[in-house]
Amino acid sequence: MIKTYALQTWKFLKSLQLTIVLLALLMALVVMCTLAQVDLGTVGAVNAYMRSFFVWHQFSFLTFPVPTFPGAALVGLFLTINLVGKTLEIKRTWSKAGMWLVHSGLVILFAGEFVAGMMQVDTNMTIEVGQTVNYVQSYKNAELALIDVTDPTWDEIYSVPDSLLAKGGTIAIPGTPLSVKVKQYFPNAELSNLQPGAPASQATAGVGPSVAVVEKPLTSVDNEMNQVSAFVEPLAGGRSYGTWLASVALGAPQSFTHEGRTYVLSMRLRRQYLPYAFTLKQFRHDVYPGTDIPKNFSSLVQVMNPSRNESREVLIYMNQPLRYEGKTFYQASFGKNDTLSVLSVVENPGWLLPYVSCVLVSLGLLVHFAIVLRRSLKRRQDQKEA
Amino acid sequence: MKLLEKYLPWGSAILALLIALFMALPTGKARGFDVGGFANLPILEGGRVKPLDSLARNSLLVIHSRQGFRFEGRTIGPDEWILDVLFRPAVADQQPIFVIDDTEVLGLIGAQQKQARNYFSLADMAPHLEEIEKQASLAQGKKPQARSRFESAIVNLFDRIYLYYKLRNTLQLTETPGLAWEIQSLGTPEATTRHQALMERAHFRMLPPTAAMGPDSWQSVGQALAAGNTGGPLHPGLIPLAKLSAAYGAGNAEAFNKTLGELDVVVNQLKPEALGHATKETVFNRAQPFFIGLSIYFVAFLALCFSWIYKPETLRKTAYALLSAGAIVHTLGLAARIILQGRPPVTNLYSSAVFVGWGAVILGLITERMYRKGFGTAVAAAAGFASLLVAQNLGTEGDTMEMMRAVLDSNFWLATHVVTITIGYSGTFLAGAIAIAYALRKHIVAVVDPETDKALTDMTYGIICFALFFSFIGTVLGGIWADQSWGRFWGWDPKENGALLIVLWNAIILHARMVGLIRERGIMVMAIFGNIITACSWFGVNMLGVGLHSYGFMDQAFYALTGFIASQVVLMGICYAPAKFWQEKPHGKA
Repeated sequence: MIKTYALQTWKFLKSLQLTIVLLALLMALVVMCTLAQVDLGTVGAVNAYMRSFFVWHQFSFLTFPVPTFPGAALVGLFLTINLVGKTLEIKRTWSKAGMWLVHSGLVILFAGEFVAGMMQVDTNMTIEVGQTVNYVQSYKNAELALIDVTDPTWDEIYSVPDSLLAKGGTIAIPGTPLSVKVKQYFPNAELSNLQPGAPASQATAGVGPSVAVVEKPLTSVDNEMNQVSAFVEPLAGGRSYGTWLASVALGAPQSFTHEGRTYVLSMRLRRQYLPYAFTLKQFRHDVYPGTDIPKNFSSLVQVMNPSRNESREVLIYMNQPLRYEGKTFYQASFGKNDTLSVLSVVENPGWLLPYVSCVLVSLGLLVHFAIVLRRSLKRRQDQKEA
Repeated sequence: MKLLEKYLPWGSAILALLIALFMALPTGKARGFDVGGFANLPILEGGRVKPLDSLARNSLLVIHSRQGFRFEGRTIGPDEWILDVLFRPAVADQQPIFVIDDTEVLGLIGAQQKQARNYFSLADMAPHLEEIEKQASLAQGKKPQARSRFESAIVNLFDRIYLYYKLRNTLQLTETPGLAWEIQSLGTPEATTRHQALMERAHFRMLPPTAAMGPDSWQSVGQALAAGNTGGPLHPGLIPLAKLSAAYGAGNAEAFNKTLGELDVVVNQLKPEALGHATKETVFNRAQPFFIGLSIYFVAFLALCFSWIYKPETLRKTAYALLSAGAIVHTLGLAARIILQGRPPVTNLYSSAVFVGWGAVILGLITERMYRKGFGTAVAAAAGFASLLVAQNLGTEGDTMEMMRAVLDSNFWLATHVVTITIGYSGTFLAGAIAIAYALRKHIVAVVDPETDKALTDMTYGIICFALFFSFIGTVLGGIWADQSWGRFWGWDPKENGALLIVLWNAIILHARMVGLIRERGIMVMAIFGNIITACSWFGVNMLGVGLHSYGFMDQAFYALTGFIASQVVLMGICYAPAKFWQEKPHGKA
């Protein structure tokens, strides 16, 4: 009994009818996602329709959102199962070799998209001409950094990620006598000068007491950033160093001293330090003669990697990224009168999969069409002879 | 009569080609002035060196929507017009070149809609210029998508007036006696201010770089005068230009033509290759291969339609021969663009339309060779005509050989991704066109003819396979290009989604046929729907105004696209109408 159900389910899962339904659902999702981008921005629409298992809708008469449509992740999952099942079923004969190649190529393409969705990390590196940078920073995640600047030649950096700050409570900083008590955390906030007569700020030290903080909803619109902010109280040796406001919107450094060691306290975009460093030697912004039409952007970078005893120049320009130590550096943006270059940095362990897939599918289609063409030519020949 | 039937097909094709060749021949002088020779001079504008003729044609297209107009009982072409604008501004201001269709804008300048198109000269609009500028600057504060019809129209009119104003002040300031006077006044107190104004208003640079400057440093007249003002050597092109201006203004054709020779010598000394390149482009401009191709396709289509009622064999062959002639002109035009631009065939929306049409015509020719039923010819001629018509309309927005912005500046990817995906568009459109032919035929031709139906279905199916192959490969190559330049293979950008939709739709058709969900008519209805998807992905995504691929918002095209979609839905209905609607037709209401 169970076996027949299982068999029937498997038969359903690998049926061509299901393929058609799934492809049609995917088309509908793609159309909805494209139209939604006008309001939600690319990231928002992709998260709502593509990177989710269900599309949720908040009806005004309900207090909770309900799923109204399968999301592309669910459709993709079923499509993958369907594809694998179907592929296994294709007859293992030479006449079906093309179809085998095409469908296994598609499986790899889907796998590549899943890997990218799950594991791809996007960061960026912002360098001014002449500056040396040994970290990449996140686009949206923040961290609370405590930097021990006592030694003028060496900064010791301790950082607390925003995900930990969000949980609140008191966080001990390993390697230091300090711990930080999170009094209030804002995933996004708007900062303004505290008007006279307004309620006093929670902050008691630093610039915080003169700043008003208003919580804002999270934004997913492209080119808008969440202003992560928090009220934190550093504690050490049984005494408090006051309540401080830390926010990515604040530029001025704030610091306090404990037992002769000075700590700078700041909220900043999350950094990942690298075992190598880049120095920007030159940034070029070429335009076509007599116009403002950009022709090329390029960054001449000195790559220094002591562990590999490496120091060499690399030119990163349009359509010519640098792939280095599992990360890929692209020319993305520029600023400060062409003296600052922004490289976007992508780490995707599956970046090669689409290339493999492209080769397999193209080859498969060519093989298949060649086989079909040969068969139809042969049939015509037979007809003539008959 | 027998002889005529024998020679009609190829005779008509040769005639069509001869007409195309005739168009490329140089035109005569206008009022004795060698306007063609002047327009052949190279200039730097929009980042590339081109003949003045290209600029004149494109500017007149932008301002007037056509490449010529009637004035004082004569037809004035782009080359004569640009000379009037540059050297006889008082006359040019009287020429009725600004086309205004919008009734509200007409109301603003105190005119009424009299006919389909209304033409005005700058002089006509002079009393209202201030108001036009005021309204336009109000509208320019809004995003293009958010503008009302009136606001878009007023901004458009203002942009065209501004272009005219810049052209008029490129070589000499309108309010001054002219270039010769300007050269004589070098070093006088107010000269610097005027040079500054000339530099700011210049629309193009006409003076080739001298040996002392960099190879790309073409100069505008204002820059050259400013350099001369500080005691440097005068650019050798300035004096001949001043003489040309004086001769043209005075109506002295002989002096004008003689001085033109002097300027040619100067240009040839400074930039030997520029004049040759400009000459080639001028020939291309004159030949208008895509307009000629469009006309030949139209005649081919007519010939084929007549073949259904009169002399089927001969006229079908004639239509095929004409289609081939059109394809030759079309191909030569594409090749010329590739050579002139040094780029693969598709670089912008305009060239994609030209290429989609070319792909459909070539595919149609092959299909016709295989099946010889006239359908390949009909569909290819219609598709070629339609896409070149779209291209003609897209081409009124300016230079169609504009420079490629940084990320697009890659011949490798333009040649692989863009070309394959465009061939995919061609295939999907051709399949849709055959399906439309099938649907119409079902209703018009009463006789049940399973053999022809089967042939048409086979054609459509084969072309869908072809389209799936190219659109899939094109989409994946696009992903790889995106991985190379933006760091991600797939970003669900509207243009990427559009390409994906074409792939998915074609895949659905093939799988549905495999399961037996659809047969003949099902394939045809789905193929017509493919037209809608392709049109949306080609043009529709540009109208959303989001994403990395949105290179320009087109409000006019929105209505055209909506109309196209509606027509396809109707055709799908016609195709899907049950058998009783067409089978009983010959007997009427029996």
